[in-house]
Amino acid sequence: MDADLEALDALTEGNLQQIIESWECFCTGTDSFLSGDLSVAADSDEYAASVRALSHYGLTRLVGDHFLQALEESFRKNAVSKFWKSFNPSSDKTAASTVSSFSNVISLMSQEGSEEMLTASLEEICMEKVYQEKLLSILLNSLLSEGDVASELEDYISTLLPRHQLMVSSVLHSTLPQPFLGILRLYFRKILEELSSMITGECEDGYEASVDSGVGFTCKSDMASRAGAMEIEEVYDQSVTLKNNELIKNIGKLVRDLRSLGFTSVTEDAYASAIFSLLKIKVQYLAGDDYRSPVLESIKEWIQAVPLQFLNALLGYLGDSAGHEDSNSGLKSPLASLPTCYPGIDMPSEELVRWQLRLEYFAYESLQDLRIAKLFEIIVDYPDSSPAIEDLKQCLDCTGQHSKLVDSFISSLRFRLLTAGASTNDILHQYVSTIKALRIIDPTGVFLEAVGEPIREYLRRRKDTIKCIVTMLTDGSGGSATGAGNTGDSLLEELNRNAENQESADYDDDLVTDDKQAWINAMRWEPDPVEADPARGSRNRRKIDILGMMVSIIGSKDQLVNEHRIMLADKLLNKSDYDIDSEIRTLELLKIHFGESSMQRCEIMLNDLIDSKRTNSNIKVSAAKATQIDAKQDEGDMSLEVFDATIISSNFWPPIQAESINVPVAVEELLSDYARRFHEVKAPRKLLWRKNLGVVKLELQFEDRALQFTVSPVQATIILKFQEQASWTSKNLAAAVGTPVDILNRRISFWVSKGILVESPGSDSDDHIYTVVDEMSETNRNGLAKGTLEDLSANDEEGEGSLASVEEQLRKEMTIYEKFIVGMLTNFGSMALDRIHNTLKMFCIAEPTYDKSVQQLQSFLEGLIAEEKLEMRDGMYVLKR
Amino acid sequence: MAATPELFLLITCVNSRWHAVASWTWDAQDETCGICRMAFDGCCPDCKYPGDDCPLIWGACNHSFHLHCILKWVNSQTQPHCPMCRREWQFKA
Repeated sequence: MDADLEALDALTEGNLQQIIESWECFCTGTDSFLSGDLSVAADSDEYAASVRALSHYGLTRLVGDHFLQALEESFRKNAVSKFWKSFNPSSDKTAASTVSSFSNVISLMSQEGSEEMLTASLEEICMEKVYQEKLLSILLNSLLSEGDVASELEDYISTLLPRHQLMVSSVLHSTLPQPFLGILRLYFRKILEELSSMITGECEDGYEASVDSGVGFTCKSDMASRAGAMEIEEVYDQSVTLKNNELIKNIGKLVRDLRSLGFTSVTEDAYASAIFSLLKIKVQYLAGDDYRSPVLESIKEWIQAVPLQFLNALLGYLGDSAGHEDSNSGLKSPLASLPTCYPGIDMPSEELVRWQLRLEYFAYESLQDLRIAKLFEIIVDYPDSSPAIEDLKQCLDCTGQHSKLVDSFISSLRFRLLTAGASTNDILHQYVSTIKALRIIDPTGVFLEAVGEPIREYLRRRKDTIKCIVTMLTDGSGGSATGAGNTGDSLLEELNRNAENQESADYDDDLVTDDKQAWINAMRWEPDPVEADPARGSRNRRKIDILGMMVSIIGSKDQLVNEHRIMLADKLLNKSDYDIDSEIRTLELLKIHFGESSMQRCEIMLNDLIDSKRTNSNIKVSAAKATQIDAKQDEGDMSLEVFDATIISSNFWPPIQAESINVPVAVEELLSDYARRFHEVKAPRKLLWRKNLGVVKLELQFEDRALQFTVSPVQATIILKFQEQASWTSKNLAAAVGTPVDILNRRISFWVSKGILVESPGSDSDDHIYTVVDEMSETNRNGLAKGTLEDLSANDEEGEGSLASVEEQLRKEMTIYEKFIVGMLTNFGSMALDRIHNTLKMFCIAEPTYDKSVQQLQSFLEGLIAEEKLEMRDGMYVLKR
Repeated sequence: MAATPELFLLITCVNSRWHAVASWTWDAQDETCGICRMAFDGCCPDCKYPGDDCPLIWGACNHSFHLHCILKWVNSQTQPHCPMCRREWQFKA
């Protein structure tokens, strides 16, 4: 400042005059430059002289600033408005049109030749800019030609060019109309689509040749990019068509123009978003609703083939201009400003690698979102959809958004599966598939735990869950018509697999004693995912065991074993041959899983069958000998030949409902004969007949046909009565058969439904007359043809099989505690369910120990309420008075 | 109901095959073995399967036990007595 003041003092009149003259000359020169009148260049000497004179008097800054301002004004006035006008055609009409609607943009883009317009106007404005830069350089030259320039002035002069650059871009940015970005985006998208279709078309022809592997390709093109713009053309001629190259060149020019105007980040945004939206569309198109084929690989290939190639070419093209741009552009985004390649190192540029990572992550994410949204359907057809699961696993491994999966899947489960309309079988099926599918995605089982919990909770509330699970476990043949047959198969398979695993696991355990093995195990340890519930130890999570998870639904294995025993008993009692191979197999598998002791009773039951078979044949042999000796055989009478028996150890079977019937006399004789012979063979053991149990195969002969049936003894007895007499009243028949009338009516309905008997009202209102049908209509005949097949199931449907149901059994066991409960409630007045449960657990430790669950107690207490012994008030149980 | 029974068709049943179910029981007076307190129709604590594998045995005094139970008892005594009635133990012929 001091220097300046001194200089001011030193000014003479003449000096002042010279400054004013020079200034005027400089101003007019500048104006005429900017008006495009290059004729001034002729007397640029004069201009330069005036500039020099001004800077001589220390007015360099003034000169520079004024010049820049003039440049800005002219730029704003001429170039910018013209430039934007071409993108904003409606700006003439309304002032508010800067907020242009999207449709406007579309209409703009859809116009033919809009690309040319974009390029042309860009070119124009760039020309303008270049022209201004030229002017600026003239000024700089004249400033610098002064000779010795003070170093601080030199600094100032060197900032002029960047300042100009900054000015250009800020002017453009500040006047940026809204639709411009959209236009850019649409432009890039259009170009990319063109490119994509071109490349995919080419890929069909010679994909292997041109882009055989992604890495190889990028290497090759990278080399090309390093070789410069001219060589790009040559190298690309081999793989990419000339037109393609032309396209990229056009884009490259455009991008370079945009960059030079300071639109680097805007441009980058535009083509990035264009690429991403194209990628998203591609992913959706490839993934679609087909879960049977993996798509991830083809998506990756596509990324290699189209967007990366595009970027590579683009970056390569820009690469040669990077030299001068780097020097004067401070606005480039960090991603864009990196050098395109490492000299001497043969690998894809860092820039390209970054792009690839970005694109792949995006592809993973969009595929993952797509799959997660459809996870329910994917799991429904699980074994077929495993490729989709694999894809999803890879995506999740990369993105780590497992919690998204859990949330979305749980909500779709609640919405679609855990509803009253879904059958328990279906839910279980889905659960098993879920376990299997998630096991692939996440071997540690953390997410499975989270997903499975709602299903388990829901299933626990269903009554038939246990039954369904046991059926799934044991019914390997998958006979059920609901389509759950596969499930049964898979669970039995699971049993099998599990058995093998268990053995190998034992083997593993032995090895752990070895230090080396322990070390290896320790090295293999991996921490649980962060989402893991710390409340649960990781050790029990290690092995995802489908059976274990199924059992955990029920709560205890005892219940499952018990249910299995009842179902097994039912199955065994309805066998007419002694074929129990599959049951033995199942039992062996269950024994491995649930322990030998818990399956003891089932084992005895199966053993009974084996023993029965042996005893049965022994008895028959002895009977045959006897008849030979006696040589007298009643004709038409039933012999032991057509009679078999299953002899059970009743203590180990589930309680059996006794229902006395009077079997036909011939059968009665056989029974006593059989019992006598058994007593001989197995003295001093005796037989007690369970006459209502068993299976009878009958062939009923009519005039023109014979019909076969497989029925229960009661039904057989009933129909055999009609051999003696063609018409019975229900009371008489009930007396003859030896059952109460209501039971008879229920059993006889089988024959009525088969069209063998017909029911007609009798003299009494509650007495019916059953008569044999003498002539069958066609419809009946058809019904009969199918009849035999459904017999056994019809038998089941009649309800109340010969075995006491689980509930009844439970009821029986619980009645012991009724006294306790009543006593408790008299003492305490009212008690909540939990308290009753706990008290029982505390005090009933002597035989019989109280081992029921809260749910079981609750259902029992509900029974007591129904019997009006108890009452429920505000969630508390009280005695009914 | 004017129809007489003769007009109705009678069912003829041929080729029937009857599969009955019975449960066996030891013909003992008591329900449970006096030694192991297990049901006779079950088996003694050492056995897995009831019936032939774990038979019953009667003494001269007509008391019955699981064979395995009474054998254990008899073998542990120098002069075996029936655990129920204290008479000298002899197997019933």
